[in-house]
Amino acid sequence: MIEYIIKIKKVTKNIFQDPWVWKMAWRDGRHNLSRLFLFSASLITGIAAVVAISSLNYSLQDELNRNAKELLGADLVLNGTKKFDPEIIQTIEPTSVKMAGDADMASMVMFMNTQQSRLVKLTALQGDFPFYGELVTQPTNAYELVKTGRFAMLDESLASQYQVSSEDSIKIGNKMFKVAGVVQKIPGGGGLTATLAPAVYISLSALDSTGLVQYGSRVGYSIYVKTNSESQTKALIEKVKPLSKKWGFGYETVEARREGLGQGFKSVYQFFSMLAFVALILGCIGVASSVHIYAREKRDDVAILRCIGSSGWQAFNIYFIQIFVLGVAGSLIGAAVGVGIHQIIPYAFKEYIPLELNFAISYRAIVEGILLGALVSVLFTLLPLLAVRFVPPLTVLRADFDQVKVKSKARWLALALIILFPILAASYQTASFISGSLFTVGLGVALGCLSLVATALLWIARKYFPVRASFLWRHALSNLFRPNNQTRVLMVAIGLGAFIISTLNIIQNSLLNQVEFTGNKNQSNTILFDIQPNQKEGVVQLIKEHHLPVNQVVPIITCRLKEVNGKLVEEIQKDTTKIPEWALTREYRVTYRDSLTGSEELVEGKLQAFEKGKKDSVYVTISKGMHETLRVKLGDSLVFDVQGVFVKVKVAGIREINWPKDPPNFLFVFPTGVLENAPQIYVAATRVNDPQVASRFQQALVRDFSNVSLIDLRLILSTVSELFGKIGLVVRFLALFSIITGLVVLAGAVVNSKFVRMKENVLLRTIGARTTQIMRITLIEYGYLGIFSALTGMILSLGGGWVLTRFFFEVEFAVNYLELAIITSSVVLLTVFIGWFNSREVISTPPLQVLRKES
Amino acid sequence: MSELVLQCAQLSKVYKSGERSLTVLNDVSFEVATGTSVAIIGPSGSGKTTLLGLCAGLDVPSSGTISLMGFKLNSMSEDDRAYVRNQFVGFVFQNFQLLPTLTALENVMIPLELRGEKNILSKAKDLLGRVGLGDRLHHYPTQLSGGEQQRVAMARAFMTSPRILFADEPTGNLDEENAEQITRLLFEINREAKTTLVLVTHNLELAEKTERVLQMKGGHLVNERLTGVATHA
Repeated sequence: MIEYIIKIKKVTKNIFQDPWVWKMAWRDGRHNLSRLFLFSASLITGIAAVVAISSLNYSLQDELNRNAKELLGADLVLNGTKKFDPEIIQTIEPTSVKMAGDADMASMVMFMNTQQSRLVKLTALQGDFPFYGELVTQPTNAYELVKTGRFAMLDESLASQYQVSSEDSIKIGNKMFKVAGVVQKIPGGGGLTATLAPAVYISLSALDSTGLVQYGSRVGYSIYVKTNSESQTKALIEKVKPLSKKWGFGYETVEARREGLGQGFKSVYQFFSMLAFVALILGCIGVASSVHIYAREKRDDVAILRCIGSSGWQAFNIYFIQIFVLGVAGSLIGAAVGVGIHQIIPYAFKEYIPLELNFAISYRAIVEGILLGALVSVLFTLLPLLAVRFVPPLTVLRADFDQVKVKSKARWLALALIILFPILAASYQTASFISGSLFTVGLGVALGCLSLVATALLWIARKYFPVRASFLWRHALSNLFRPNNQTRVLMVAIGLGAFIISTLNIIQNSLLNQVEFTGNKNQSNTILFDIQPNQKEGVVQLIKEHHLPVNQVVPIITCRLKEVNGKLVEEIQKDTTKIPEWALTREYRVTYRDSLTGSEELVEGKLQAFEKGKKDSVYVTISKGMHETLRVKLGDSLVFDVQGVFVKVKVAGIREINWPKDPPNFLFVFPTGVLENAPQIYVAATRVNDPQVASRFQQALVRDFSNVSLIDLRLILSTVSELFGKIGLVVRFLALFSIITGLVVLAGAVVNSKFVRMKENVLLRTIGARTTQIMRITLIEYGYLGIFSALTGMILSLGGGWVLTRFFFEVEFAVNYLELAIITSSVVLLTVFIGWFNSREVISTPPLQVLRKES
Repeated sequence: MSELVLQCAQLSKVYKSGERSLTVLNDVSFEVATGTSVAIIGPSGSGKTTLLGLCAGLDVPSSGTISLMGFKLNSMSEDDRAYVRNQFVGFVFQNFQLLPTLTALENVMIPLELRGEKNILSKAKDLLGRVGLGDRLHHYPTQLSGGEQQRVAMARAFMTSPRILFADEPTGNLDEENAEQITRLLFEINREAKTTLVLVTHNLELAEKTERVLQMKGGHLVNERLTGVATHA
């Protein structure tokens, strides 16, 4: 007997040695091709997203590596807030290298053709910048004209917005400039930069004549250097380093720019690849759910096969081969779609990409996508398929025979791999195990929350649905609870897409609401800055002449931190303390007053006036955020370097500031009597409601006080809105993958339950239901599904949006319910359409056909 | 004395449902000699289908032993029992149990394909011709009538030239005319192949065509008698 068993064991074949399982996989699969294809369709969207995003990333990385110098425009750039000292220029040895320079600052510009004015980034160029990359202008000789005198070039978007042509003039400071042309491309410019701060370019020699550079003006100076060799660049950097500390300027190399940009892109890439990954995981859940039903339906077939001698593994192999082949096919199609999307990206999102990308097909991304698809199609279908091995052959005799739960090592292994996979895949994407693990946990929590909300909604719907509702409405609802209907999976999949889109919408509205000033009548919406002391009275007079309120006129003094609690800033920098570098070395703009404004609240300490003659009685108040950043508490001492005069102060109070409310607001406020004699400029705030008054006021301001700049907060509102429009488009595009995946899962679920639906419809028809009634039930059912799915996403997005706006963005939570209703309606309509489209056969099949099939 | 193909000793089967247990088979013992035919009869719920399932190795008894072709089925794994079924056992079921995604020909070929045998097409075609379906080789089960499906199932059962054939109510789902045809074919082919036949039925007329009838009641084997028919005579 033992020999017999040993002999039996010997004939066991693995999947590759057993041609029969391959033959059976084909024979069985050919009848389920369309249905099996739907399984892989969920995978296609996920793989397409992953391949498209990965390809984009590789293109960007390639381009960054190949054209890093073009991004900087030079081999080395020095940046400072003061004009460069001759010692620095001498060190660079201008005779042995090529040099160019620029100065940039915020300034008002008036467009003479329309008499409109706005704040722009004024860049004054000098020399042959850029040394690498291109300065593309229209006409091509525009920059040559600019170099000759009072000519200006405008960013293309700015010129287009204000309808400025080459014949027009603009007023910068107190001088008129003729428009030489538009800038279409410049290293480090264009794209989102141009949206945030549209630029006007003049020559550096012309800047001085504008009268814009005065005391207190914030001007950034740069020197661009082109060396003759790498070694010369390195030597130059070594020479520049010690001067950098001495003269307080920074420098940037090609490598640093590449790393900085690479890091920036990496973060964006990680964010988008995570969105793509979410679509993939959703697809996997859809596949697993469909295969679970498929495997359950195949129970009878497996029992027959087991009965006539197939082993459990052979039965498993048959369906495994089907799923694996379709998984690979789905991955191939997904990769192809991903490549297609990758090719469209340069046209669709060119504004966001600062480089001219070489959109060559990335084979690495394709191979990764296919491997990933094959892997997930195997992993996520293992559990339902492994159960096939334990289908008892006795089922052929007794359909109701209960399967004994078998403890299987393979099952535990599959479970472990399923848990491990998202962690490893996310770690690979983020190149960090901790980030990957956190993301997986986050995704798990999000899916868990969605699932909880979905369950709760279904429970509520079932429990509290009006029993007096018409038959159609009640029956359609009960259809959601049909066995194998995958209602909850669908709600989670579609709900996740709705969640991403509506959360983005909530954040967008909350941020826009923050800069929207129309609600509060007295709040300032126009800020005037760089007002010289001798201009203060004149500017106030001008505001009054235009019948505008003078909400604030505050002095601003620039200073830097010298000591914190008796410790020099340089010493603190060397410490392992967690005070960030920027907080220690930045230039602070402070003011002085003995009272609080409407946007501030003293949360700790008190306002303490300065006592004349007592030098150590300067008590300042600090903003709550800065108090946390600098890690100072009440009574701590600070020393400020105010234009070369050291002023020792003590922290007397901590202010909570509502920053957007009633600007300007300040990190440090000194008491009166201390800084009055320090060099200072003024900022004024007013409110302008009428756009025509605003235009007239701006014209008068540019005419009478050309160096004074004006920030129109309504303009910022429109800029933020435009920016969100652009970023939102990309996020929505990726969130759409989740929705599409959800809808593919829905299509799969409809096909899966087709025969059950047909039987239900036959029964309904037998008892007298008309086709229109069946059609209505179908539409209402998918309407419910769409509403519940959208609600699942909405409810969670309201919660998630509140948390994000409250704790991350620290702004007021604001919801535009009309827009959320539009998102909900779109999700519902899409769901109803997909449901109806896949149910056409179910609705139109004649009853007799089904009855014959049944019999 | 003929060689024994099936030996059942003190078979019991208890199903547990929660805390309750249901004894569907209680202390049943019998033997079946090679080449003979046996009918198991009894009212619904008497345990006859359970007994058939145990004898064929589709399930294991709660106690007692089953020896099929010398193999102690109750001590073998499910996969090993599947191997034994494939090598020595044929089945015919009341509800045909054909694979709906395979044609008639493919359904018949499966058992030998499972063994890895080659050149089986002609044998499958011959068998289908023998049961009168030579012109329906490439039809799917849904395209065949009940009688035709059962004939495909019979062809499949005899494809491996089994040493023993288990039939569970083979005519239970058929009209009188088809039932008669199937019965005739079953016994004819069985006789030609010299296969041992164990069939479960309600149909006494069918049972009387076998050599020996075992009567079940309440999970017990209550009676056993010879019919006087010589199957392979």
